Amino acid sequence: MNIICAPDGIIDIDRPRQGAIDIVRSGFCDVLLDASLACTPIELRMTSKVGQNKINQRICVSGNPTELYHDLIPMLVQCRQTQLHTTLAYAPYLERASKHVESNQLMIQLAEESIKVCREAKCQAIIIRPLFSGIEPEDEWAVNKKYYLHLAGIAREHNVTILLENQCRDLNGHLIRGICSNGKTASKWIDELNKEVGEERFGFCLDVGVCNLCGQNMYDFVLDLGSRLKAVNLRDCDGQTENAMLPFTCVNRSQPLTDWLSLIRGLRDIGFDGHLILSFGDTAKSFSPILRTELMQLARSVANYFQWQIEIENLLKKYKHIVLFGAGNMCRNFMKCYGEKYPPLYTCDNNRSIWGTEFCGLEVRSPDSLLELPEGCGIFICNIYYREIQEQLNGMGIKNIEFFNDEYMPSYFFDRLGSK
Amino acid sequence: MNQIGVQTKNVINDNCPEEGFSMLKHTGFTCADFSLNSYLMNTSLYQMELNTFFDKSIQELENFFLPHKNGAASSGIKISQMHMPYPIYVPMAGKELNEYLWKEVAPKSMMVCAFFNCQYIVIHGCKLARYLGSEDEEWKQTSQFIHSIAPLAKELGITICIENLYDSIGGHLVEGPCCDVKKAVERIDSINEKYHAEVLGFCFDTGHANLVGIDFAGFITELGERLKVLHIHDNDGASDLHQIPFTFTKNRENRSSTDWEGFIRGMRNIKFNKVLSFETAPVISTFPKPMKQDVLGFIAKIGQYFASEIEK
Repeated sequence: MNIICAPDGIIDIDRPRQGAIDIVRSGFCDVLLDASLACTPIELRMTSKVGQNKINQRICVSGNPTELYHDLIPMLVQCRQTQLHTTLAYAPYLERASKHVESNQLMIQLAEESIKVCREAKCQAIIIRPLFSGIEPEDEWAVNKKYYLHLAGIAREHNVTILLENQCRDLNGHLIRGICSNGKTASKWIDELNKEVGEERFGFCLDVGVCNLCGQNMYDFVLDLGSRLKAVNLRDCDGQTENAMLPFTCVNRSQPLTDWLSLIRGLRDIGFDGHLILSFGDTAKSFSPILRTELMQLARSVANYFQWQIEIENLLKKYKHIVLFGAGNMCRNFMKCYGEKYPPLYTCDNNRSIWGTEFCGLEVRSPDSLLELPEGCGIFICNIYYREIQEQLNGMGIKNIEFFNDEYMPSYFFDRLGSK
Repeated sequence: MNQIGVQTKNVINDNCPEEGFSMLKHTGFTCADFSLNSYLMNTSLYQMELNTFFDKSIQELENFFLPHKNGAASSGIKISQMHMPYPIYVPMAGKELNEYLWKEVAPKSMMVCAFFNCQYIVIHGCKLARYLGSEDEEWKQTSQFIHSIAPLAKELGITICIENLYDSIGGHLVEGPCCDVKKAVERIDSINEKYHAEVLGFCFDTGHANLVGIDFAGFITELGERLKVLHIHDNDGASDLHQIPFTFTKNRENRSSTDWEGFIRGMRNIKFNKVLSFETAPVISTFPKPMKQDVLGFIAKIGQYFASEIEK
């Protein structure tokens, strides 16, 4: 899995050095080449209204699409200097409320120019949103088929894959499901486009923020897409307003507002190994720049956590034998979902009153038993007091300590042990 | 022209049902959605609390509802649809409660439905995806329930209707059971084929669809003739408010933020000729009591507007 940091709110397109350094220092190796920073949706709206060609003495990309590369040069130079990859690009896009059909000609030009930039930036793929402005629902496929097939020729020339993305549409301020917002339909579009061009030139990027705005079942969406899913744009929002927030920051009474469970279940089930884009521009902008480095480190940890959750079975596969630590709900959940495939030798617990008993088919032993384990056996802590137990095991000289976690399990019991 | 209906909840009083039905008739309705679920509330079931209402024998239930049946008939109101108590399965409850819901409440609800000569009964599918891992697994449980009452439905000439529902993630209302129209179509067709009868149909709930941004026109068009009944109501896209259509806006242009144009387009596409039924009971309790008739009349007028637009 390739983790990518979206630069919005972090990199200033005209003065990108500090932002690029912040990204690299927090452990990211890849940054999204977001061409919408050089040609923003607001600029595109203004252009369609007043046809302006300059903003603050800078030539507008929207008025002169061929300037796109020029505007991205400082960022590209900085990425090169800081050894940041730009594996994935994102073409400029319109505001969701846009209704002017005339805007589409400009969007075609901007998409063409964005693809051309990809070769210079060594991008493997580019996300290009479908055309929607002023297009009737019944014409969406015909218009976009023509659009993407036109772009496919340029993409082939520049060796880039085009990723479509799920959209929402603005119905008088209410964001509802839009183009490609259904996994089956999106898959059909991609398959037909690939068939037309005779190669795998098209794939899909799932925007989690859009799914959340439309309260969608992401598990089914991801499963419908299967191997067509090449990238996931990971961002949080409150389900009502479109924002790019750091995952797990949109909450209500201690509960997340995004259905991370169905997303993680889906990505796990298809063995997702594509690009995971972390977009948190709105969080970054709302934090003081003084706290930027700390925020970036947290962001990187969040991305790592997602990768860890999605690939949790890889961790279990790593060891020939495993032992669990903990004889409670987490152990019970482990046994429900993974016990058969990865049977532990036994579990242990600090509660001496249950030593020698059986729990979920496992013998419960004293932690001292761990001292007799064969080499290369993994000890999975199944208890939320991870660090406390880790310290205990470290003190005993135990190796191969791993954390297990049951927050995003493939299934659950209807009840919890010990709940009132 | 479509007939117009509304929920009986907050209108019909058990002590004098005829009065409420008569009010419905006078305010412009010809049909009613009988709120059988009011007699065993979901809020109680989620607390694992049962009342004894469905302990009554069929004969006792029929005796209880005879004034309602007669009141509707004498007022010229047809009970066109009914809501079965829900949920049909309480995950945290024991076997006893769930068996009671399946073996007592459900078949007796069907019998009451038949007693009212009502053709459609709406059920809520199980909300179990979190526990079972996927919507497909969740459906297996709902499907088991449907199979448990389908033979009776066939015998009584009733169509059970599944409804698009929502679920909650930290209070954010998201897609729940029966929100995937392609799956719904396949499932309805497969069950009906098995029983060689229309034992299963669909109830499209506009408010629930609005909460999860469903494309009304696309959904309704794909359902086609499988769409049997409606729950028409409006909300702000965030909470299940069951308000009057055209109530909510989201920006200064003050245009409806619910896709009523899409609703009409979809209904027109499938030539929907059944009842336009409103599920707007909360509106009745929101307005002052003296305005009850005006409110009902207004809802009926909106129904008439929809009917005329669909017919165009």
